Amino acid sequence: MNFEQFQNQSRLYVIGALEPEEVEEFEKARKKFGQKAEDFITKCYALHEAFALSLRPAKASAAIKDRLMSMVRERKVS
Amino acid sequence: MYRRAKKQARRKPKRETRRFSAPPQLEPGAPTDLQLMHAIQSQDPEALSQLYDRYNGILKALILRVIHNEAEADDLLQEIFMEIWNQARNFSAQKGKPLGWMVTLARRRAIDGLRKKQAYARAEQRLQSETEQQPDAWVHNATEEEIALSDTRFLIRKVINGLPPAQQQAIDLAFFRGMSQREIAAKTNTPLGTVKTRLELGLKKIYDGLKELKDEL
Repeated sequence: MNFEQFQNQSRLYVIGALEPEEVEEFEKARKKFGQKAEDFITKCYALHEAFALSLRPAKASAAIKDRLMSMVRERKVS
Repeated sequence: MYRRAKKQARRKPKRETRRFSAPPQLEPGAPTDLQLMHAIQSQDPEALSQLYDRYNGILKALILRVIHNEAEADDLLQEIFMEIWNQARNFSAQKGKPLGWMVTLARRRAIDGLRKKQAYARAEQRLQSETEQQPDAWVHNATEEEIALSDTRFLIRKVINGLPPAQQQAIDLAFFRGMSQREIAAKTNTPLGTVKTRLELGLKKIYDGLKELKDEL
């Protein structure tokens, strides 16, 4: 696998779309390309952020935050 | 540093700014996401509260896009922020931005939830009708008002909407439904190789488009 192919596979990898038989080869290439591969994979995770930001924000129920914060504060005290 | 940022945020007036790199527009002096994450790592509930205010809408939209159920989405949102609180020590700025980490976590939880719950079958039916009516699911909420908005969402959607519908659909099913290439092939009656090509080409175009956006702004 050359680096361009690795880049294509990385974008599939970060969204979990590599098939099981492709993952093994991907992991081998990841080792082969070392830090350069890790840096590229990190950059690919920006796709997650972009997909989430492409959606219109939804309104959460006000009670959710109250429940969350009381759980957090209880846990912190205990 | 974080406390000073909080004070400044209270003092200074709101100002409208729009930048690609900072999704919700922060007030001048407001703590950055990274500062909030560091404060959460130090068990500061106020920082979690601010992070919640900043991102609950984005994360709820993502969860809803996956599970299509308002009440379940609210419950899951609460669980996800609890997980952010509990797992904050695992966040590393070297591996990406806080929002990326939160979205990855939220997506994983939402897809897990979808697979576990009986609602899966009902959501499948809804997805089926959506897919038949509108393959390019990202576009279906667009309004005149939205098109006029020159914000981050509009810019990203412009990149996504530039893809052929079949590529959008493949990415939508993989990202928001957690489907494998084989599942997408079966769902869309498309050869596996074609699905792979659509995903590769589509993701590359989005990736390159996002890079250009960052360079421009």
